[in-house]
Amino acid sequence: MKGLTLALVAVFLLFILFGGAVFIVDETEQVVITQFGKPVGEAIKSAGLHFKVPFIQNANFFPKNLLEWDGEPGQMPTLDKTYIWVDTFARWRIINPLTYFETVNNEIAAQKKLDDILDPATWNFITSHHLIEAVRNSDREMDIKEVGVDESIREVILKPIEIGREKIAAGIMEQAQPKLAQFGIELVGLKIKRLNYVEEVRKAVYGRMIAERKQIAEKFRSEGKGESSKIAGDKDKELKKITSQAYKKAQIIKGKADAEATKIYAEAYSKDPEFYSFVNTLEIYKGSLDKETWLMLSTKSDFFKYLKEYYAR
Amino acid sequence: MAGREDPWGGGDGGLPPEIEKIFKNMSSVFKGGRFNILIIVAAVILAWIVFSSAYTVGVDEVGVIQRVGKYVRTTMPGLHFKLPRGIETLTKVKVKYVYTEEFGLRTLRAGVKTEYASERRYLGESLMLTGDLNCAIVPWIVQFRIDDPYKFLFKVRNVRLTLRDLSESAMRLVVGDRSVNEVISKRKEIADEVKINLQEILNDAETGIKLVNVELKKTNVPEPVQPSFNEVNQAVQEKEKLIYQAKEEYNKIIPKAKGEAEQTIKGAEGYAMDRVNRAKGDASRFLSLFKEYAKAKDVTRRRLYLESMNVVLPKLGNKYIIDPDQKGILPLLNLERGGEKK
Repeated sequence: MKGLTLALVAVFLLFILFGGAVFIVDETEQVVITQFGKPVGEAIKSAGLHFKVPFIQNANFFPKNLLEWDGEPGQMPTLDKTYIWVDTFARWRIINPLTYFETVNNEIAAQKKLDDILDPATWNFITSHHLIEAVRNSDREMDIKEVGVDESIREVILKPIEIGREKIAAGIMEQAQPKLAQFGIELVGLKIKRLNYVEEVRKAVYGRMIAERKQIAEKFRSEGKGESSKIAGDKDKELKKITSQAYKKAQIIKGKADAEATKIYAEAYSKDPEFYSFVNTLEIYKGSLDKETWLMLSTKSDFFKYLKEYYAR
Repeated sequence: MAGREDPWGGGDGGLPPEIEKIFKNMSSVFKGGRFNILIIVAAVILAWIVFSSAYTVGVDEVGVIQRVGKYVRTTMPGLHFKLPRGIETLTKVKVKYVYTEEFGLRTLRAGVKTEYASERRYLGESLMLTGDLNCAIVPWIVQFRIDDPYKFLFKVRNVRLTLRDLSESAMRLVVGDRSVNEVISKRKEIADEVKINLQEILNDAETGIKLVNVELKKTNVPEPVQPSFNEVNQAVQEKEKLIYQAKEEYNKIIPKAKGEAEQTIKGAEGYAMDRVNRAKGDASRFLSLFKEYAKAKDVTRRRLYLESMNVVLPKLGNKYIIDPDQKGILPLLNLERGGEKK
């Protein structure tokens, strides 16, 4: 009797374990129970131990966590007819496993659905906006060199941004979301990962960048020459200033001295101008007459008056 | 974050009550113990239970415990017990380790002189459009820790891929709003902004990741454009050189000129001093003479005259004294000169 009970319990346990009555749902999973292929009841979204009817019912596991989608990088023209590569990615989750099970069933199919909906939405938005709207995100003022920038480009990049990259991505998402909801999929975030010029455009852009830089370099060079000339000019000016000022000062000093000397002489000699000229003339005789000088003196001169007459008149 | 209070840190060491119950059941079976083989089987099962129950968590990690798939607790470093395998499962997460993701470059071999893989191969990651519609190459790294093991394990399927995609998107968003000049010269600013933006979207995505560092490596322009950028740098240098040379010339000439000006002025001052002193001297001498002269005018005049003659006359080479009454002086003179010449 005891043995029979034990056997029954053992059979029951085996039945539960291997007959599929019990199944474990991981934190990252959710389950749809199907009976002969048809979903039964609500989807199981809580992790832990769950039960189902063995053999008849089947547990279909789907991921509950955030899933990834990577867009096929595609070449497309913007509104201003520039060809660019756009690479988008998105994150999504299965929000309604029952619908998901019925409409797409597996992830490969789901990824295909996402491709079918998100790629055209991306195309729509990129082709209907200017390139600058997809590149920039705000009206932030950029540090652009004042020279060298091509006029047409300058016009484009200084135009206020109306939408910006994040809003374009949000627009794509908004357009795609209702279409994905019918598959039980929630689009969590779509972003533009990469955005680049296509090869031919890139070459043209490089050419433009080179031209820009050359102009900037030229500007620096001429700035250098200008600055240098300015300094040279300053130097010349300063030099003239210094020498002329010195000359002026020297002349003033000399003039003052001359004036003073003149005053001193005048004061002294005006006592007796005749005596001054007498004394000075004698001095000049002493200084200027030498042995080369011929002197003819008349005996009538004052000096020789004694030579002719003993007693001068 | 070391020693973070874990909100999920539930049970820790000690035998859970379930295990004790199993022990009791086991021992009751063994009481009948006629079959040695049964004892051996029981011992093996017991050993298996013990070994799959005890676990240690390293200092740099935490243990995340799931009971039949459901998250129950996070355990801190140390020795812990859990229900045996099949009931409770353990996942260790390194929460202190700083992971690095590289974009536009790959480290081949880290070391004192780190080797990097060719940048050209990862141009797809690093080539981007700037706000002035130019192209720039922006390689960068993102360093992060797992901050919330629960979110990290359960909320996002492929955290690494998500992080990479979000990083690329965040970086391009920031670079897209900057000119190529700024991308090259303001790397720190860009890195800081990317870090803030990226952390925000990582939080939104419930990745459980905390950024430690976002760092821009050497930003550049595409290879074909590089020579023209170097030319600009060269032009800047040239400009500086020209200015430097001009300044040098200025500094060479001006102080010298200043010195010379000073010399001119000093010279003039010397002249002035000389002129005035001489005047004073002359005046003084004249006045002294005049003072005495005034006392005896006639005799002084005569004396001065004669004294001067006394000095002057002996110096003269040829002296002729002519009587004004006599005629024909010239032939006489010629004879004299002629005689001298012989």
